[in-house]
Amino acid sequence: MDKNRVSIDQLALLYLLLVMGGKFLTLPSLLAGDVGHDSWLSVAFSFVWDGICLCFLLWAIRINDGCKMDISAILDRSVSRPITVALMAIFFVIFALRINVLLSSCFKMFSVTFDVSANWIVYVLPVAALAFFALTKGFNAIARMGQLLFGLILIAVVALFVSPFMEVELGALLPIGEAGWGKILLTSYTRSFWFSDYIFIYFVMDGIKIKKHVFAPILISFGVGALLCITLNAVFVALFGYLAPDFDMAMSKIGVFSAASTANGRWDWLTLSIWLISVFIKVTVFIFCAYKCLEKIVGVRFAKFNWIAAAIVLVTLSLPMFVSTRQLLDTVIKWGVIPFTLVQYVLPLLMPLLTATARRKTEMCHE
Amino acid sequence: MKISFDQFSKLWRGQDDFRLREIDCGIKLRAVCLDTMCDDAKVSAFVLQPLAYVGEATSIDEVERKLAAGTGVRQPPNLYAAAEDFTNGYTLIFDGQDNCISVDTRTVIGRGIAEPPTSMVMRGPREGFVEDIKVNITLLRKRLKTPDFRIVNLAVGKYTNTAVAVCYIEGITRQSIVDDVVQRLQSVKTDGILDSSYLARYLDVNKTFLFRRVGSTEKPDIAVGKMLEGRIAIIVDGSPMVLTLPYLFVEDMQAPGDYYENSAMTTLSRALRFVSVIASVLLPALYVCLQVYNYQIIPLRFLITVLNASEAIPFSPLSEMILVLIVFDILREANLRMPSAVGISLSLVGAIVLGDAAVQAGLLGAPAVMIGALSGIGLFTLPDNTLILSLLRLIVTFVAGIMGLLGVILSTMAIIVYLCAMQDYKTPFLAPFAPDIPEDRQDAIAQIPVPNMKKRPKSIPNDNDDRRG
Repeated sequence: MDKNRVSIDQLALLYLLLVMGGKFLTLPSLLAGDVGHDSWLSVAFSFVWDGICLCFLLWAIRINDGCKMDISAILDRSVSRPITVALMAIFFVIFALRINVLLSSCFKMFSVTFDVSANWIVYVLPVAALAFFALTKGFNAIARMGQLLFGLILIAVVALFVSPFMEVELGALLPIGEAGWGKILLTSYTRSFWFSDYIFIYFVMDGIKIKKHVFAPILISFGVGALLCITLNAVFVALFGYLAPDFDMAMSKIGVFSAASTANGRWDWLTLSIWLISVFIKVTVFIFCAYKCLEKIVGVRFAKFNWIAAAIVLVTLSLPMFVSTRQLLDTVIKWGVIPFTLVQYVLPLLMPLLTATARRKTEMCHE
Repeated sequence: MKISFDQFSKLWRGQDDFRLREIDCGIKLRAVCLDTMCDDAKVSAFVLQPLAYVGEATSIDEVERKLAAGTGVRQPPNLYAAAEDFTNGYTLIFDGQDNCISVDTRTVIGRGIAEPPTSMVMRGPREGFVEDIKVNITLLRKRLKTPDFRIVNLAVGKYTNTAVAVCYIEGITRQSIVDDVVQRLQSVKTDGILDSSYLARYLDVNKTFLFRRVGSTEKPDIAVGKMLEGRIAIIVDGSPMVLTLPYLFVEDMQAPGDYYENSAMTTLSRALRFVSVIASVLLPALYVCLQVYNYQIIPLRFLITVLNASEAIPFSPLSEMILVLIVFDILREANLRMPSAVGISLSLVGAIVLGDAAVQAGLLGAPAVMIGALSGIGLFTLPDNTLILSLLRLIVTFVAGIMGLLGVILSTMAIIVYLCAMQDYKTPFLAPFAPDIPEDRQDAIAQIPVPNMKKRPKSIPNDNDDRRG
């Protein structure tokens, strides 16, 4: 069995979990800090561009059907090896950064919400151990885990949402576009770093089992995920108004409004914990991708679990011990916004062309 | 092929139960058997009497024809096959030219067919497998009156030469899986197979050390039911446990009587089993981490009750719970190995004296004892996996005590990843949930009425998925 094979349905559910996991931590407050109650519009714009990129990537997957070329093979054959290495290095930085941001948000959530404090390394090591264990089992096992836990996580998210959604005063979102459309669009670009969850698909495209309606399940997942994110952002800013930028743990704060009171116990924490599974799934998927980036940079397919690659990933996870995540994020985005935009929002548009070129070259070689 | 009598007798002469009889019926014959393995009446009726009264014979083939009264008469192809027949209780007849025939004179020893103690049912057949392979095959054959019922006979074990029968239904079971299983069994190199559980380890493709990967049943109706779904049944001589392959985790949730009850009731029972297993593994862990780290989750009144009950306990919540779980496991182990009459007393001593006395003495809190007991009872809904679930429960509880909710989440995810990655004989262990196979959910936790099950499970590779065709 190919341990990295994944069906379209599994991919779709995993994608939705990835959208749900991570975007409800510090992002809503960051956006609210930039554009106030129009933050949900920024999210909506980001998802529009995200959706277009996803469609192009899926088109590329369809072209790749039967060839089983992975991302590095496509780039090697269509452009050149040095460019492949450079792009993989950018991907690695993106994944390392996103893993760090996710983990530090989670770390903060545990220390603030659950009142559990530990140092960074004690917190990161078990998470990394889980991710590396999953890595040895293959991407297929991660996808199956997502499939198994999807229903539970969705119920948890809905349970957290329902009550605040009923209480929210949607009038608080008016007037629409108050921050200025230019600023809203700019924010969706500068913060777009957070939205491209589909980029993990680059690293599993050689193992995707394609059915007839290849696009449908993934696009439905994308639609549901986008709708959930936009709604959560709208609910968040409507609930907290001008205080929203100060509440940096959106899901945790929204949970206060869910069906719980002190006398009945904080049952929302349990649902919150279940939702956190999606964050750890996201971390695991991104660690898988970071590991794959290293594999593709070296240009050798690791037959067994490679401890050196794992150690490099682990070292990047220890960065928040020396530099605050916010500082790290600001610095890297300042210098890396163009390369990041290139791999996340330009490369997908070129992927069908690159895949077709690579396929043609492969077929010519075979002839 | 010639089989030398001298060579053969050299192997066995000197054994106390080795019997040799020389007969002259036109040609000189020598009949040998193991007294302890043969039935005297059969030796007399199927070998000695026909040879004594039928008259002159000129060749071994004629002797074979004269022994028509015996049903199991054949010419073993080589010395190895002759020795195998001989040790199984066949009588071997040699002529002077190193020709040999074997006649089935096996004695029937062992218990009669009875209801298996591990699979009692309210409704449904009460027959259970026994230790004799022939009887067990008969029990399957009785239910599968079709020429498509196939058996591949093997002998495994250098010294025990244990008879193993690989049974399947041709046209349903995927032939590649049968070939794979037969090949694995043929490649077993060991001195002896004393029970089917020995073989189960060899049939576990990925050598998983936590969960069992081969099913087992003591009931022929269950074995046939599984064969009709495309599985293989493996019968081992000397074992009442018949192995079934491929195996799914969801089979643990299915009890022997499920198919004889109303499907709604079955669904409810299975859901209860499912919930109780999850609760058994997670409840002690949640109790510990909620008490140590996240007590705000517990409703206030409940929290006050718990705090009052555990206020004077000298142990930390983690040590207290680990102690309760270990005591429970010790009691269970002792109970299993005690004679049934003593076992009941032991349960009482464990439950009343130990539990109550510990609470009264202020060593353990009543909530911890209650949670430990509830979790322990829940494990028994999956009797085949009690030990492994008990181990997982201890690990998750320990991690929860150290890392709180984060520990529970991470350890649970690790277990799930481990289970999701398991796949033997092209069958994912967690099917039909991971991967999701909607068609197979008809008989997973929820069960649709049996007449509506028109397709065989897709999780099990098969050659014909239509149950009606």
